[in-house]
Amino acid sequence: MIHWTPEQQELRAAIGAVAAELGKDHLERDAAGIFDEEGWRRLRDMGLFSLPFDPAHGGLGKDLLTTLYVLEELGYRCPDAGLGFSVSTHMVSTGVALQRFGSKALKEHYLPQVCAGTVIGAHAITEPAGGSDAMSMRTTAVADGDAFVLNGSKSFVSNGPIADVIVVYARTGAPGEVGGITTFLVRSDTPGLSVGRPVAKMGLRTSPLAELFLDDVRIPRDHVVGGVGAGFLVLDHVMKWEILCGFAITAGEMRRRLESCVEYVRTRTAFGATIGANQSIANRIVEMRIDTENAHKWLFDTAEKLQAKADVAADIAMTKLVVSEGNVRSALSAVQIFGGYGYTAEYGVEKQLRDAVGGTIYSGTSEIQRQRLASLMGLDRPVKRA
Amino acid sequence: MTLQREITQHIVSEYLPDTPAEELAADYDLIATGVVTSLQLLRLIGWLGDRYDIPFGDLDIAPDDFRSVAAIAELVSRHRPVAAN
Ligand SMILES: Cc1cc2nc3c(=O)[nH]c(=O)nc-3n(C[C@H](O)[C@H](O)[C@H](O)COP(=O)(O)OP(=O)(O)OC[C@H]3O[C@@H](n4cnc5c(N)ncnc54)[C@H](O)[C@@H]3O)c2cc1C
Repeated sequence: MIHWTPEQQELRAAIGAVAAELGKDHLERDAAGIFDEEGWRRLRDMGLFSLPFDPAHGGLGKDLLTTLYVLEELGYRCPDAGLGFSVSTHMVSTGVALQRFGSKALKEHYLPQVCAGTVIGAHAITEPAGGSDAMSMRTTAVADGDAFVLNGSKSFVSNGPIADVIVVYARTGAPGEVGGITTFLVRSDTPGLSVGRPVAKMGLRTSPLAELFLDDVRIPRDHVVGGVGAGFLVLDHVMKWEILCGFAITAGEMRRRLESCVEYVRTRTAFGATIGANQSIANRIVEMRIDTENAHKWLFDTAEKLQAKADVAADIAMTKLVVSEGNVRSALSAVQIFGGYGYTAEYGVEKQLRDAVGGTIYSGTSEIQRQRLASLMGLDRPVKRA
Repeated sequence: MTLQREITQHIVSEYLPDTPAEELAADYDLIATGVVTSLQLLRLIGWLGDRYDIPFGDLDIAPDDFRSVAAIAELVSRHRPVAAN
């Protein structure tokens, strides 16, 4: 069990206090698909975005575990899951990529702005022709003097409509080759780059998402993040952080949902008794609790291993499956437990289910996580017979 | 067993089960030929990190560093703890 210091607890409580004031109108903004700019500013002013980054570049220098501990509280206190999703996307897409792989000059220029939230970050990997098979991406980057010229299009860029800097992954080598992808830091005002209109979606509607079009976009070589051909390793590192940070917020949401369901089943009555007295309802609550605690345990266990520099390739896939699928189950149970009120939009319970479904798709789908685990177990390679 | 031989053995047993170790040339391009795909590269990095105590999370590495047995052996001997060399 992790013992949090008084300083860590204070930090978490301070962010939690602000987060609790946010999202009051989240149902209306969800219906209209509007990002909470004021909420973003308040979290920015609390220093949330700077948590895990190097103090030399404007960060607070907190470790991964502390960052997760605080983000979990954001999810617990703030009912606007879209805002939380935009926050973690900003921090990991740009900040984490730069901190680990950026050149000194890139870090000095951009990391302080990412930490301060004066720029908003996004990343563009998925393309209209496919996201799961990222190594087969079609967007190209061709060397031309002291620059690369990018052409292609990207779909589903979270924060796309509000982003100032976008980390774009493009092909510099042979299709499918693991060394064929390179990562570029691209300013959204670069000539040739255009961002489509916000795309309507099932959930996380307050986190704007758009397509990106690259038409002869010239990016100086010094804006390559992590070296030519290192895109796959940048992406792998960023995805580990994306899963841990993004789903730490989810784990907080699951805890809040569990508490609200417990309260409901202990007060709502039917047939002269509270509905929680029925075993079939109680069992749902127990399953929700197991999913919630599993989510927390996997996230913090994997983060502890990653922080200790252990190999977490399998742990990350398992963590993502446990949390994202547990979240869908828990949100579906909440709808059932709240009955008709759960199904109507007024109480926000159905919104949680819509928000939850995306988690089994972004950051690598459930199928891809299972495939990855199977491959890490060597199941895709026959054993040589003697 | 030499470092290069040990890596060859591992790659053959994990990724090329029908190939005798002596037939895998040290400069054979594992990436271009698709022997090591993206998922397998993660697995290989995990094995090398554990086997030779290399903190890959802190290193500036690129897929090119894993292109052949010779490249991998060179990377490992550069980064594994001195006592183990
Ligand atoms: C809310 C949200 C936010 C997102 N934000 C971003 C973002 O900021 N940046 C970004 O780049 N992308 C983002 N994405 C895109 C996301 O990463 C992709 O949708 C995801 O990787 C899947 O890609 P795809 O949609 O092209 O589906 P496909 O890859 O076409 O897959 C379709 C279906 O086939 C399955 N499938 C594919 N291959 C296999 C296989 N080998 N075995 C078994 N099943 C398989 C998939 O699991 C899926 O069910 C976001 C998506 C969502 C929902």
